[in-house]
Amino acid sequence: MNTQTNLGAVMTSVAQAKGLPNAHYVSPEVFEEERQAVLFNHWAGVGFGKDVPEIGDARPVDFLGMPLLVVRDRDGEVGVFQNTCRHRGMILVEEPRKIEGAIRCPYHSWCYSLKGELKSTPHVGGPGHNTHAEIKRDALGLIRVPSYVWHDVIYVNVNGNAAPFEEVHAELLARWAEFEGPMVHGGAASSFKLEVATNWKLAVENYCESYHLPWVHPGLNSYSRLEDHYNIEAPGAYSGQGTLVYRQLRGENGETFPDFGPHSEQWDEGAEYIAVYPNVLLGIHRDHYFAIVLEPKALDQTVEHIEIYYAQDGASDPDLAALREANALQWKGVFVEDIFVVEGMQKGRHGVLFDGGKFSPEMDGPTHNFHHWVASAVDAARR
Amino acid sequence: MSLDAALLAAHEAGDKAALTRLYTQAADEAGDVDAACFYLTHAYVFALESGAPEAVALRQRLADEGREPVCD
Repeated sequence: MNTQTNLGAVMTSVAQAKGLPNAHYVSPEVFEEERQAVLFNHWAGVGFGKDVPEIGDARPVDFLGMPLLVVRDRDGEVGVFQNTCRHRGMILVEEPRKIEGAIRCPYHSWCYSLKGELKSTPHVGGPGHNTHAEIKRDALGLIRVPSYVWHDVIYVNVNGNAAPFEEVHAELLARWAEFEGPMVHGGAASSFKLEVATNWKLAVENYCESYHLPWVHPGLNSYSRLEDHYNIEAPGAYSGQGTLVYRQLRGENGETFPDFGPHSEQWDEGAEYIAVYPNVLLGIHRDHYFAIVLEPKALDQTVEHIEIYYAQDGASDPDLAALREANALQWKGVFVEDIFVVEGMQKGRHGVLFDGGKFSPEMDGPTHNFHHWVASAVDAARR
Repeated sequence: MSLDAALLAAHEAGDKAALTRLYTQAADEAGDVDAACFYLTHAYVFALESGAPEAVALRQRLADEGREPVCD
């Protein structure tokens, strides 16, 4: 039986297109197809640099069943490896921990450096003989997964077939070039996660459009009206929304977070919220930034990992602790308000007569941009 | 405590410094080069894993016996 979905209706203009067919939200077969075509073939977010802050920190990540190991090496660089020993396929690191010297496989003690080099193969040539002509250490290092860290989000291209991150996202990097300075995590109170009963794509779709704001987030209406927003659409890369009336949060004494640095007038009252395809949601403001990595746990189960960052003083000044907490609570409130929507759309996708949906040509461009990208990625993988 | 008992206790505790020290001692007390290299290998692995400076000398002892590459 041909189980391939028909994507032709998605890959046309927003005015004519339909949304992705139901199967892209409710079919285990399509979920598996998208695992490869959408998530493994592209630069997907799998974590944050702040979770491996020191040299030797190692953190295992289960990315849709793919065991990854995130390591900060002695040069301070983040590397990502398949978390599997080259000998007998044993999982190397099962819990986050500090690697003091080498990564030792707990099975036969093959050891790897923090850069993945195979450093020791005990008894491989017989007891007390640690070499063998057929064991070529240079060819048996840990398998490195291409990775790139941008604004602390760790992106990986599991299948190693994407163009370099800087090339794929050149336009986005240029768009936010004013924010290339340090972004410092706000600490424990600036970190939270939400477990949502939805397909991960629906979280992207909801995030990147402003159409729903007055209905789902009425609290934002007081200063941020729908007409104060604009669509952001970069075919093949990202989409989202921007606001023209960002208002800095103020504490009881009028204090605000310090800016990341000098910025152009656009960012005085501007902010942007962008979905970096496939599964990373970013928000940038003059004084803080947040990143959401969507972890697809299952077809209809997603964990949203949310982290908030500031300029150095904004992150560390104890006098701003209450303001940091208030900012996190404010954002958490907004994201919680979205849960019934993304879970409701997931339930609605079981309506067998639903045809993918009709987009508003005016308001749904960013969402359609994402659908078009997903459909194109799936289509390309089928060819 | 015998060396065997001390080794078992160090394994149980995951005490890599003790494992490095005790396996080195076992190597030093071994009756032949093969037995010594067996224990040296273990001492080296635990030193390597824990980032202990002894790893350099242990590796050199193994390399001198042709049990590790001369350099890597």
